[in-house]
Amino acid sequence: MTDAAKAPALSVRGVSGGYGAAIVVKNVDLTVPEGRIVAVLGKNGMGKTTLLKMIMGFLPLHQGEVHLFGKRINGEPPYLIARRNIAFCPQEQPLFQDLTVGENLRLGLFDDDAFEAKLEKVGVHFPFLPDRLRQRAGTLSGGEQKMLIVARSLMASPRIMLIDEITEGLQPSVIERLAHVLAEQRRAEGTAILLIEQHVTFALAIADEYAVLNQGEFVDRGPANAADAAERINRHLSI
Amino acid sequence: MQVLILDIVTTAAILFAVSCGLLISFGVLKIINFAHGAFLTIGGYSALVVTQMGWDPLLAYPFSLLVGLVLGAAVERFIVKPLYDRPLDAILATWGLGIVISQVITIVFGRGVQFVQSPVTGAVELFDGSYSVYRLAATGGAVIIGGLLALLMHRTRLGLNARAVIMNENLAQALGINSSSVRLIAFGLGAGLASLAGAIITPLSSVDPNMGVPWLVNAFMLVLVAGSSLLALLIGSVVLGGLQLVISTYGSPILGGLTIAVAAALLLRIRPKGFVLD
Repeated sequence: MTDAAKAPALSVRGVSGGYGAAIVVKNVDLTVPEGRIVAVLGKNGMGKTTLLKMIMGFLPLHQGEVHLFGKRINGEPPYLIARRNIAFCPQEQPLFQDLTVGENLRLGLFDDDAFEAKLEKVGVHFPFLPDRLRQRAGTLSGGEQKMLIVARSLMASPRIMLIDEITEGLQPSVIERLAHVLAEQRRAEGTAILLIEQHVTFALAIADEYAVLNQGEFVDRGPANAADAAERINRHLSI
Repeated sequence: MQVLILDIVTTAAILFAVSCGLLISFGVLKIINFAHGAFLTIGGYSALVVTQMGWDPLLAYPFSLLVGLVLGAAVERFIVKPLYDRPLDAILATWGLGIVISQVITIVFGRGVQFVQSPVTGAVELFDGSYSVYRLAATGGAVIIGGLLALLMHRTRLGLNARAVIMNENLAQALGINSSSVRLIAFGLGAGLASLAGAIITPLSSVDPNMGVPWLVNAFMLVLVAGSSLLALLIGSVVLGGLQLVISTYGSPILGGLTIAVAAALLLRIRPKGFVLD
């Protein structure tokens, strides 16, 4: 087995950074092994989204390294990182509202020839999508848009997904469906997932591990199935 | 009346051909290319070179397109790209480039007005009168350009990537789209289309080092009211081009020359989206 094959899907080592001189994330270490789901939780403004932006290359690192499947990626432009079997579901402006559902899904693929086969696959999880390919994405309901974001990420069969607060503003039935889809994706294809969340129940339902980010530093972490995990996380979120 | 309608159609077609390159580059780069008029002039002189070389006049179109594409790509890479983080400087750079191109053309070809050979000549009987065959052919050319552009933007992966970059460049990058390549292609294509439009215009008028300047103003105003929509540009070309023609014909040519700029400014005051449909 090569080093790359043994390496975790994502490894963040001693990473600090933020916006210009403002350091938002401070000396953070985080590992997402292949086939595992890690949830990073924290209140607003604690650096969760900033960390994702640094991993994806949208923000420079002041220090530290980011490795994807054993390959150092910091310094690479976002589009090259995105081509390394990684799917990113951002929280801000996550869809092309004026493109159709079908066009949004095609953008999740690098090879249009595979579209029909991949559409069939995501259609199993989200049956409404194949019937509404010509509908403008911006006219979908909030829940449908979130499902489209996840479906677009699944189109390329990623080895790792970075998902930023996908449950925000969603009704419980949609959250339940998304939890089922992500758990199934991990089970069927061994996809690693880094979940950024504030929805503790959702995160702990599918994650293997959790970590709590507070003012740019991890202040707690542990197995998601620990009896006191929810209580510990909620304590940090309520402070 | 029929001839007036035909005039409106052909004028709109030529305006569309002149403006669509600017629309493509503005949509993707978010920078108005003030050298657009200079690229149009380059197209005119490309057609002149074809005439002077004694080549088939039809070669003027692919030749001008190629010259514009290559020069446009070079300008994007070496002048515009280093200034993406400073959009105002990038706009000023294209303005300065337009002046430089005009001066270089003056040095190489002289200041005088010159004429190119038309691939088709004469008139055809239409609506109890005669009409320029070349104007009709130019209209057909503009329709083909518009059709091919629409196909490129809406039926190809490159077009989808370009629209994604236009709408949300960060998200496009997060999906693996190399927006730098898309910008290069868009700017090159925009310059190529400007040059092609210059070659289309020249048999209708003449060639001189500043021939692109008046077209730049109209193209700029049309792009402002069209956003990044080809359909809105088509509507704008018909409505404002038609208005210009009517005022020039029944009022004064001087007022007609101001029509597009004034009408576009008024439209944007009333409807900031211009001709962009909901």
